[in-house]
Amino acid sequence: MTPGSTPAACAALLRRDLTLAWRRRGDIAMPVLYAVIVTTLFPFAIGPEPALLARIAGGVVFVIVLLAILLSLDHLFRGDIEDGSMELLMLAPQPLALLVAMKILAHWITSSLPLIVVAPVLASMLKLPPEAMPVLVIALLLSTPLLCLLGAVLVALTAGSRRSGMLLALMLLPLCVPVVIFAAGALAAAQEGLPWVAPIAWLGAGLAMALVLAPLACAAALRIAMDT
Amino acid sequence: MANWVPLWLHRLGSPPVFYRFAGAVRPWAFGLALLLGAVALYGGLVVAPADYQQGDAYRIIFIHVPSAWMSLFIYGVMAVAAFIGLVWRIKIAEVVAMESAPVGAAFTLITLVTGSLWGKPMWGTWWTWDARLTSELVLLFIYLGIVGLYHSFEDRRQGARAAAFLVLVGAVNVPIVHFSVNWWNTLHQGSTIRLLGPSHIEASMLWPLLTMMLATKCYYIASLFARVRADLIASEGGKAWVRDIALGQPGNDPA
Amino acid sequence: MTSPPDHTALLEARALCFLRQDEPVFGPIDFALRGGEIALVEGDNGSGKTTLMRVLTGMLRPGEGEVLLDGAPFSLDTVAGAVVFLGHHLGLKFDMTPRENLRLAAGLYGVRSGTDENAVLREVGLAGYEDEPVRQLSAGQKKRAALARLLLLPARVWLLDEPYANLDRDGIALVNRLLDQHAARGGAALVTSHGAVSFAGGEPRRIRLHA
Repeated sequence: MTPGSTPAACAALLRRDLTLAWRRRGDIAMPVLYAVIVTTLFPFAIGPEPALLARIAGGVVFVIVLLAILLSLDHLFRGDIEDGSMELLMLAPQPLALLVAMKILAHWITSSLPLIVVAPVLASMLKLPPEAMPVLVIALLLSTPLLCLLGAVLVALTAGSRRSGMLLALMLLPLCVPVVIFAAGALAAAQEGLPWVAPIAWLGAGLAMALVLAPLACAAALRIAMDT
Repeated sequence: MANWVPLWLHRLGSPPVFYRFAGAVRPWAFGLALLLGAVALYGGLVVAPADYQQGDAYRIIFIHVPSAWMSLFIYGVMAVAAFIGLVWRIKIAEVVAMESAPVGAAFTLITLVTGSLWGKPMWGTWWTWDARLTSELVLLFIYLGIVGLYHSFEDRRQGARAAAFLVLVGAVNVPIVHFSVNWWNTLHQGSTIRLLGPSHIEASMLWPLLTMMLATKCYYIASLFARVRADLIASEGGKAWVRDIALGQPGNDPA
Repeated sequence: MTSPPDHTALLEARALCFLRQDEPVFGPIDFALRGGEIALVEGDNGSGKTTLMRVLTGMLRPGEGEVLLDGAPFSLDTVAGAVVFLGHHLGLKFDMTPRENLRLAAGLYGVRSGTDENAVLREVGLAGYEDEPVRQLSAGQKKRAALARLLLLPARVWLLDEPYANLDRDGIALVNRLLDQHAARGGAALVTSHGAVSFAGGEPRRIRLHA
């Protein structure tokens, strides 16, 4: 790969973001820890009957994963904007949308992949039947990148603003309603022994659309945010 | 052909011209809204007959349905204004989009409250996870997110541009939300009762509804123009035309 | 656009001005920088030096006028790595070493022929610090690590906002030396400063901004 070519640029940026995440391994563990703690709160709150827990397990896991991703999203672009790296990315020969897509990919690997790994554990703590586990993992594999892409657009929009934590939640959660509905819907269908392919297919369609549109929207939003 | 239309629109894009135009239109729109609203309420509450199933409780639709229409209509206006503002960087369009959001949020809230009030006698509960009510709730959150984003920026213009972008993201998302909520609603078949069949609504009920719809439109225009005028005064504070108004000097043309 | 490149200015501003809340921040200004030319932007605090830099990078939209790069209208979509910007924020990741920081920049922009990471780090006086995390370097050394990036990348136009800040006498001499080398290679640079500057190549061009 010659330096400056598009593949080299993508690889370099991906490598940098993963290196940075690795140097701050503690930050990777935080969303996972958060998800584990919130999950253990549920049986305390509603009682430990297995039937009741199994009924809500899928929905609870999806909402917890959504909130954990939301928490990790805030510093997706903040670091780059504060230390001046964003100028370096914006003036680079490659389209900003492509570079942004790489950053989102790195963020998905460091924030969502660990959550997907622990999600079956969380779900079995909540007595989700084992036969529904594959559907849980498939739904998470499709819905977490979708959430990261949607979230990245909104984080880019708030990047130039003063406060963003609660605001990000207010903006992101309504837009996530379809993702939660289809992901949890697929799992509910699988638990009841019904066909679950249709909602998964909708998630896949949404992901395909977001993969194309979200990086472009994100790049446009970042330009608005840098315009100070 | 008609060259004066774009020319007029172009002139209207200038803040002082729009300020005077809005000031001239606002009292008329407000008066019309009051008048039409009174007529519609009279028609709805007095003239229209009671429903054979729901009795007098159905009469809340004269508020509920026009508000629901407005909640979507204002989002549409906002999306168009946001698009124009982002693409052509027209300040007035940005201001119109941003000042539409609180009005739209208010109509959405009215829709939810009246829907809930209507639900109590009809469904026996204040809230039900009906597809339309749920979509409306999500719409309210989106409106609030737009207002919140706009006000979280130091720089008004930048806040307006970011929030206008969010309006467009929401415009893509609202139909998807509505579709998914419908899908979800059929999956979890609850005790949903379809209440309003607009196809066989009686004429004596229809005209107050349509009149109220016009009244809400006029109110929107009046409210929007008042808000836009206030926003322009605040954001153009240092300009000569604002100083002229503040000092009580009439503008150079009494449009 | 078919004029031979040596007659076209590398970076040109025509009647450029910037408005904030419809109030002019600077301008209108005109200048043209040819290859081998270095210009110094002067102005008091608040006269818009940094804003001018950001407009020239394409990150801020000019209120009026235009910026031309090689005679063609310039925007973030057409810049193609021809411009590097060094501002108050150095664009360094503090958790990574100078070498790793350079590696990202090289991956994005490519490398100027005939040089490499070790050579440029030696040039700016960071030999021996290549693999220290940037966090542990002094403010002046951080600045030098950022200057190494200018040397490594093939960009022809340098936009340097206050490059002399945080630097000792040797560091200032280093910046001047780098600018001279850049000019000798046919590059152009625009530098803001409120300190005294001396170039081997004589007096620089001066562009004055008024508050």
